Amino acid sequence: MTVDLAQDLSEWPLAIRTRGLTKIYGRYRALNELSLQVPDGAVYLLVGPNGAGKSTTIRVLLDLIRPDAGTASVFGRSTERDSALIRANIGYVPEQLDWGHGWMKVGRLLAHHSRYFPTWDHQYANRLCHMFDLRMYQRMNTLSKGQRRRVHIAMALAHRPPLLLLDEPTDGLDPLMRDDVLGTFIAHVADSPTTVLISTHHVSEFEQLADYVGVMQGGALRAQLSMEELRRNLKRYRADVPEGWHGTSVFNGSAIRRTTTHRQIDWVVWGTESEVVGRLTMTGATVRDCSALTLNDATLALLGAREHVR
Amino acid sequence: MLISIDQTDERPIYIQIMDEVRRGVVMGLILADEALPSVRQLALDLRVNPNTVMQAYRELEREGVVEVRRGQGTYVAQSRTTSKQRRDLVREVAERATRDAHRNGVHVHELIDELRGSPARDQRKRA
Repeated sequence: MTVDLAQDLSEWPLAIRTRGLTKIYGRYRALNELSLQVPDGAVYLLVGPNGAGKSTTIRVLLDLIRPDAGTASVFGRSTERDSALIRANIGYVPEQLDWGHGWMKVGRLLAHHSRYFPTWDHQYANRLCHMFDLRMYQRMNTLSKGQRRRVHIAMALAHRPPLLLLDEPTDGLDPLMRDDVLGTFIAHVADSPTTVLISTHHVSEFEQLADYVGVMQGGALRAQLSMEELRRNLKRYRADVPEGWHGTSVFNGSAIRRTTTHRQIDWVVWGTESEVVGRLTMTGATVRDCSALTLNDATLALLGAREHVR
Repeated sequence: MLISIDQTDERPIYIQIMDEVRRGVVMGLILADEALPSVRQLALDLRVNPNTVMQAYRELEREGVVEVRRGQGTYVAQSRTTSKQRRDLVREVAERATRDAHRNGVHVHELIDELRGSPARDQRKRA
């Protein structure tokens, strides 16, 4: 693919910025010169397959691990130099929930956690716990995965941090609770100005919330752009083509995914609609349909960019 | 009025919200000086980013469809050119129909004939 969809977003004020971030475990490159840019105040959805480096990125931002090369900054401050200050300004929901606080009761854990955050809002914390149906006297190690996830979400939100790092925040939740949590995030963002970075496999769940999307693969960004631009410029085209049609060459790499039979094509192409339709028409194709992709389909197309010929 | 959006629609969500409000105004579902839902409420109802709703309301304000009253909310403006808005709506529906026709290999004149139930169609059948 020759079109570069990992865009530079630095025209906006950035809440998160990494430059050439690289993390190596033995021979394995967890992060490979990652340049992530999250605009201030945006909801940024980080998607990609297992092992793409999403959680590693978040852990670097929290200074839980240090990169082998490159730099990361949050609100303009170095994650290594100012890690304590940065962490105080972050609400974090980890993917792995075994924090070693299993013996603590929910209420005790919340009280303990609150002392690290001067901005802790006790009323809000209580409201969240009530909404999430959490009982203060239960021990953490007796809770289900979904219940523990909710405790962590309450802990992340209750101090109203300017930045939320949510690593698979709805994993282990039932559909009803997922929807409640989604609503909680929306109300939270409406009430307090927050930048949100969400790493998730549940792409469709967060699609309507996202301002930006980053598609990670192999420790680097395959794409980084606004949802609006993605919807506008990445589309699926279905066209009838004459027998023995040779139109592939005019697309010069902007056709992200191609499925071709001898009479019809079903392509995902990057470009403005009128231009793509114009080029297809020029080659003798009759465009029947052009449609925007769901974020899930767009992600799959970007990750699996290849040609299918039947 | 009820504002609804369609995830599979290719229009960006903020445009869909704008179109819904315009449709509501044209059809008289919401009248001048009536309040739209708050940004927070609509974002929650539609399960979308509050920024998206804000963007839609701002654009609608620029177009003069609504007015934002500081600290009070967003209200439908006194309408000036409903006939133009009506025409825009008709054009939009027509465009959607032609696109669908093209997708199915139906010619525009066939579509028009069918819509009219026109004698032309019957004549063609007889011929």
